[in-house]
Amino acid sequence: MMKFPGLLNLRGVSGQIAALVVVSILALHLIVTTIFWLHRRDAPDPRVDYGHGQFMTAVELLGAAAPADRPRLMADIARTFPQLDIRALPADADATAAEPDTHIFYGLRHHLGRGYRIFSPAGGRTGSVGVILPDGAKLSARLLPGRGPRPFWGGPWMATLLFAAISLTLLGLWAARALTAPLSSFARAAETFSLNGTSAPLPERGPEEIRSVARALNRMRGRITGLIDDRTRMLAAISHDLRTPITRLRLRSEFIEDETHRRHMLRDLDQMRSMLEAVLSFLRNDRRLEQVTLIDIATTLQLIADQFIDMGHKVGYDGPPHAMVLARPDDLHRAITNLVENAVRFGAEAIIRLRVSPQTAIIEVEDDGPGISDARKDTMLEPFVRGDDARTMDESAGFGLGLSITRAIVDAHGGTLSLNDRQPHGLIARIELPAGAQRQAA
Amino acid sequence: MATASPNILVVEDDRETRALIARYLRTNACSVATASDGNEMYRAMADRRVDLVILDVMLPGEDGLSLCRKLRAESEVPIIMLTARGEDVDRILGLEMGADDYLAKPFNPRELLARIGAVLRRQASALNASAMGGASAMTFQGWRIDLRLRELRNPEGARVAMTSAEFDLLRTFCERPGRVLSRDSLLDLTQGRNAGSFERSIDVLVSRIRRKIESDPGQATIIKTVRSGGYMFTPVVEPA
Repeated sequence: MMKFPGLLNLRGVSGQIAALVVVSILALHLIVTTIFWLHRRDAPDPRVDYGHGQFMTAVELLGAAAPADRPRLMADIARTFPQLDIRALPADADATAAEPDTHIFYGLRHHLGRGYRIFSPAGGRTGSVGVILPDGAKLSARLLPGRGPRPFWGGPWMATLLFAAISLTLLGLWAARALTAPLSSFARAAETFSLNGTSAPLPERGPEEIRSVARALNRMRGRITGLIDDRTRMLAAISHDLRTPITRLRLRSEFIEDETHRRHMLRDLDQMRSMLEAVLSFLRNDRRLEQVTLIDIATTLQLIADQFIDMGHKVGYDGPPHAMVLARPDDLHRAITNLVENAVRFGAEAIIRLRVSPQTAIIEVEDDGPGISDARKDTMLEPFVRGDDARTMDESAGFGLGLSITRAIVDAHGGTLSLNDRQPHGLIARIELPAGAQRQAA
Repeated sequence: MATASPNILVVEDDRETRALIARYLRTNACSVATASDGNEMYRAMADRRVDLVILDVMLPGEDGLSLCRKLRAESEVPIIMLTARGEDVDRILGLEMGADDYLAKPFNPRELLARIGAVLRRQASALNASAMGGASAMTFQGWRIDLRLRELRNPEGARVAMTSAEFDLLRTFCERPGRVLSRDSLLDLTQGRNAGSFERSIDVLVSRIRRKIESDPGQATIIKTVRSGGYMFTPVVEPA
């Protein structure tokens, strides 16, 4: 296929801009020419219009007529054009008054040509004009008020310029939009790019350059998604396969007679199980299937508090007895359980609070532990970050996925998770669920 | 246990897990048969009476979900599914599959024992032709308790969070409305006497249920305390 040089290649940005300029200039010329022809054909002298034309015709008729015929001719004209009020002036009428110099008079003089003289009759009525015919006869007439000079901006050249400016601006805006829209959509797509494979690929349209960028980005996206999928599959497979040996161990532990050994083994197995669950629920987060349903969030929080109390922790619930919220019940349970797990791990006591307003439902998990320094609050929300990096893997340490799972779940509910300081020490993890997901209990 | 020595069929493809479950259940007064896939399961069921099937979801050949659906279509035998977490629990328990309960692997063997006991007791009480026998959901005062999905919804339709033990107790109440139930009989009907120490006492469970369903838990009207007797579930219960 023949390759056009850059400027002629209509598929490229430069070619499209060049084509745009040429097309708009051609369009402009076409329009101006059309208007010119429509406007100028048979158009009278703009300076001499309406009654002025009749007046000049009358004056020329009178000037060309034999002096003897003039009275009759004048009577005919007066009958035909009464509005001109043409009448003869006596020869001795004062014609010395300085010739008026308005543009109408200038136009009349210019049109009538040499031999005719225009004057302003002394004491004449307003709007009257005097003419001295080539043979010296004088007459006066009333000039109808003509149109004033066209305003500066009303001239045809100005209209053309305005039209050109407006249409070029509109075309320019359109062109800029057409050329940059794909770029903006790239930016948007890059911002919202998520690895869950749900976002649509970039549209491959627009000029060639932009299309090739879109293709490259889509290919890159495909590779990244592939890598992430591989990682997800690998982690899921490992976690899945670990279940079988852990299940066996869990069963075997029931046959251990030494109670101390048995307890230790069960503790280790529980830790492995909760780590597995954390990984799996972290991996699953992007592909949620759970349905949103109306739940009584207060009972969920009470249930979590009860479950921790049953495990021997000091956990309290402080909030209304009932509050209806639209949510994914198991996910929300998991999210808040993670927060309470952290709270009882680092503090002696934890309180789950619920505040419900027409705008939001705010769930707070408060502990009296050491808290988290401001510098580390953000990183704590990242996956695989633990509260204390130096901490050895003791009975309570997990993968450091708890907070990131919670955040992912809260995000999926359209809410926010924030970590705040508690006075005098401790941490408040706050989940805010938006109004859309919340309905006040009746 | 409701039955002296229930016949349990364990369908699980991993040989060691299968043997361990069988051994654990045998030490806890169950009579156990095993199968490694669907064909062996049908053969085992043809050979002997089976009171309950423990069915793994991941099986070679025909998978557990499809076996569960077929079993449910042809018999009333209770089924407890063993699943990998993340399977669609609603599907397992829902009308489509109709399993009676499920456990996520790795599970606590004592929990498995407790669930077996609970499912068998439920089966027995349903066979005793209670008024609610066979209903998959019941309603009282606008509340709806769904036995298949194991969920409770309040009159506004909001799901109320409950533990398994709380649900079993409420279900027991719903199946016996207007009758005084002693703590002992409630214990028998729900957890069984040999349940592990991880189960809470009936009183604690009742107070937790009251907090969720009574408008004023201090002045209970739904689950009334009967002096020196136990508890009584007062509302009219209807199958839904």
